[in-house]
Amino acid sequence: METELSLKKNLYMARTSVTTESNKTGSWRFLRPKYEEKTSPCSTACPAGEDIARIEMLITQGAFKEAWETILRENPLPGVCGRVCYHPCEGRCNRREFDTSIAVHTMERFLADTAARNETKPALERLPPKGKRVAIIGSGPAGLSAAWFLNMLGYDSEIFEAMPEAGGLLRWGIPAYRLPATVLSNEVARLESQGVRIRVGEAVTASRFEELKTSYDAVFLGCGYWRNRALNIPGEPGQGVEDGMSFLRQLRQGAKPDVTGVSAVIGGGNTAIDVARSIIRLGGRAVIIYRRRREDMPAFDEEIESALEEGAELRELLAPVQIAAIGSDCILTVQQMKVEGLDRDGRGKIVTAGTSLVEISVQRVFVATGTTAVEAWHEPPPAAEAGDQHNASVHLYLSHCTLQQEQQGTPIIYGGDLTNTDKNVTQAIASGKQAAMALDTLFQSGADAVRERLSACLVGEGPSLSMEIYMNGPRKERKPHIVSYQEINTDYFQFEPRVIQPRLLIEERTSSFDEIELKISANTAMREAGRCFNCGICNNCDNCYLFCPDVCILRGRDMTERHIDYDYCKGCGLCVVECPRNAMTLGEEEKL
Amino acid sequence: MQLDALDKELMCSGHVGCPGCGATIAMRFVLKALGEKTVMVLPACCWSVIAGPFPQSSLKIPVIHTAFETGGATASGVRAALDMKGDKETTVITWAGDGGTFDIGFQALSGAVERNEDFIYACYDNEAYMNTGIQRSSSTPYGAWTTTTTGADWKKLRKKNIVEALVAHRIPYAATANIAFPEDLIRKVKKAKAIKGSKFLHIYASCPTGWRIPSEMSIKIARMAVQTNIFPLYEVENGVNYTINYKPREYLVREYFKLQGRFRHLKDTDLDQIQEMVNEDWALLLRKAGEHA
Ligand SMILES: Cc1cc2nc3c(=O)[nH]c(=O)nc-3n(C[C@H](O)[C@H](O)[C@H](O)COP(=O)(O)OP(=O)(O)OC[C@H]3O[C@@H](n4cnc5c(N)ncnc54)[C@H](O)[C@@H]3O)c2cc1C
Ligand SMILES: Cc1ncc(C[n+]2csc(CCOP(=O)(O)OP(=O)(O)O)c2C)c(N)n1
Ligand code: SF4
Ligand code: SF4
Ligand code: SF4
Ligand SMILES: [Mg+2]
Repeated sequence: METELSLKKNLYMARTSVTTESNKTGSWRFLRPKYEEKTSPCSTACPAGEDIARIEMLITQGAFKEAWETILRENPLPGVCGRVCYHPCEGRCNRREFDTSIAVHTMERFLADTAARNETKPALERLPPKGKRVAIIGSGPAGLSAAWFLNMLGYDSEIFEAMPEAGGLLRWGIPAYRLPATVLSNEVARLESQGVRIRVGEAVTASRFEELKTSYDAVFLGCGYWRNRALNIPGEPGQGVEDGMSFLRQLRQGAKPDVTGVSAVIGGGNTAIDVARSIIRLGGRAVIIYRRRREDMPAFDEEIESALEEGAELRELLAPVQIAAIGSDCILTVQQMKVEGLDRDGRGKIVTAGTSLVEISVQRVFVATGTTAVEAWHEPPPAAEAGDQHNASVHLYLSHCTLQQEQQGTPIIYGGDLTNTDKNVTQAIASGKQAAMALDTLFQSGADAVRERLSACLVGEGPSLSMEIYMNGPRKERKPHIVSYQEINTDYFQFEPRVIQPRLLIEERTSSFDEIELKISANTAMREAGRCFNCGICNNCDNCYLFCPDVCILRGRDMTERHIDYDYCKGCGLCVVECPRNAMTLGEEEKL
Repeated sequence: MQLDALDKELMCSGHVGCPGCGATIAMRFVLKALGEKTVMVLPACCWSVIAGPFPQSSLKIPVIHTAFETGGATASGVRAALDMKGDKETTVITWAGDGGTFDIGFQALSGAVERNEDFIYACYDNEAYMNTGIQRSSSTPYGAWTTTTTGADWKKLRKKNIVEALVAHRIPYAATANIAFPEDLIRKVKKAKAIKGSKFLHIYASCPTGWRIPSEMSIKIARMAVQTNIFPLYEVENGVNYTINYKPREYLVREYFKLQGRFRHLKDTDLDQIQEMVNEDWALLLRKAGEHA
């Protein structure tokens, strides 16, 4: 009894519920980690400034609707762009340096197709009505984009379209094998259901334009470049000489022109390539004649490659000199050219090679060497005239559009192919977005405020702009710093092959206008999006939380919304280094 | 990496571990895997200090501070006491440094596992006696500077292969783990907890102060130890069944060495020699696991 008691007495077990938390080890810190989201290189390369890192993250999580809405905040036409945009985003993808770029455009198309199939309605932020109306001339991508973004900013707009259906060159230029009509009509229908009004079959004449200036608060011109540029050589116009744009338009109107035999297609741009590929689909043979070399062709390389696969022939360094009709055939005379030194713009300089001419016998010649505006009033006055301000008039030459306001009159803004140096769909969309921002700023704060307001909305270094930033959305918190490959912690990624885009067989391609690229499954899309590093944005991977030796990464109730408990953080920097995607930054501690 | 249901923290902020200390990261993961029903035996080591001066404690579980050489013996006693109370549920874990394991505590450890005492012995390995000022241990790797292997007298003996020494006791479970591989580490701790008898975990834990590395590199270097085959991740059941858990990318050991101040004096020829030793050890391990290179 005694012993037991004394044993008990002697067995002293210290008990304590005092933790170390009274030691504020934060005072040790001389470097300070912080959460700081940054900009992905792909998103600045995207002319529409899409938030690609976030879009891919949402796809990986299976949040397809949210991913699609994230695109729509910056680009109203993902179904179109997922198909025909030449995807400069992929050219700047950080993953290229690891294995291969993310198939961003394939993901974009997947989201658009999924939303269309499920008839999803987007839930997007929209500012209260401003009580102002904008007339938009032309329903190409520029006009549609302007209307979409003006609508978001609370403006009423009305699109006037000369053709019987909306879409501009998306409807009447780019062939169906790359962009089926239903894809476009789906997108247009969604825009209309969101409040965009389109008056088709209403061509605006010069006098109507003057009327619009008085009955609307602003006018946007997105009339495009629809006049074929002539070769200005003997035999043109003439028998057997046709213009490429009209030919494509006829096809999209349902005609099936006779192209038996061999057709020469003159030019090196997208139009020439699409004319050649369409001829092949109609059963003819196509020879593309270009005065420079393949590497100089303005057409997108993937399109040139496809045209050659389908059997188009490319003859480089040949300049047309004359066309002569002989019976039902044409003799196209061309001059051999060669490269000598460099041009002012850095391209190979093309000069004539000797005096010998070559005659090519064909059934017809398509001219596709570029286009210009149809009417002089479609185009803004040349930039040389004035700076931003001139005699109380405003002339703003912005990266994607030109804004004009004569003596406090109605602001006129020109966009799309009319003003873009790079004439393509996504740049046209970018110009519609810029126009909407510029007009809104002009109305709210005057012309002087426009440039500064726009530069605050650049994605990274620009020139692409973000409407989400303009509307003060969460993306505004992103730092413009563009995440480089060296800033990715690649230890957290495995090599994985890029998705293989399923396509029609070559025989199927050359015998119909069916869409070439086929759809991919949700699983495939999630796997591909999962390859994305999500450069610069937090995807809740929890590395920072896990590796903190001082237990000072605190998370909100849903295990997101991390923040650092600076009472204890010693500034070791592990969280920052182990963040795979540079969504954190380590900086000097500011000592008081 | 999503390690769900491991949100409970049994380690507190405010401890006095160095910034970027790998041993604290190791502790945090191990406690997340073991849960509250755990008693920890803590022989003298850095962690004796990090656990806090009484009445403070940075650990929310019972801890027995014990003499440097007694990790195995004290745990055996604690286990026996719990068993007598009828408590089969509580896990007993010894948490010791490399000095307390490879060197001074080896006898008590060997005795305890020879008796197949039902406990986990976890050695967090920072490759020297860090608490007392970076003296070399038998775990200090070939080539390293320590305060007792200075200048031209850098350590020219190989690191003791402690896992093989424990495997030789034919214990139910022995495994290596690394703080840069939390999923693997936590899985192994949970597995050890579920097995009856003696379990040994050899946990690589970088030490920014003792290794002369920047604190923010401590995970990166730990990861490289695995990627270069210097510290392979593997487990051995019942002293015979080997499983290699990670097949490394073909990194060269010099990448690992050149990031650390403790190896700064090594010449290319030394590094070539070390590469050969690492290759040899890896080949041996592959053979034991019945695998081919
Ligand atoms: C064959 C071809 C293939 C192409 N392929 C691609 C491609 O793959 N990817 C890519 O990015 N870009 C491509 N492009 C370029 C792209 O189509 C254009 O850059 C883009 O469509 C320009 O958009 P926009 O809105 O400025 O003008 P447009 O698309 O040309 O639209 C202008 C619209 O304005 C209407 N309009 C004009 N005047 C009036 C008026 N007075 N009143 C009412 N309406 C009027 C027109 O009817 C038309 O609908 C291609 C172009 C062609 C020709
Ligand atoms: C018998 C005895 N000898 C020496 C010491 C002093 N001592 C305390 S901790 C320590 C070093 C521990 O080294 P290690 O086990 O590797 O742990 P680390 O400090 O590196 O974490 C020493 C030598 C002691 N406590 N007891
Ligand atoms: S990895 Fe993803 S976020 Fe980074 S550049 Fe590529 S697509 Fe963009
Ligand atoms: S890991 Fe923890 S202690 Fe280290 S810098 Fe980050 S928050 Fe601070
Ligand atoms: S480590 Fe993961 S959770 Fe932490 S900031 Fe980076 S992405 Fe987000
Ligand atoms: Mg040690």
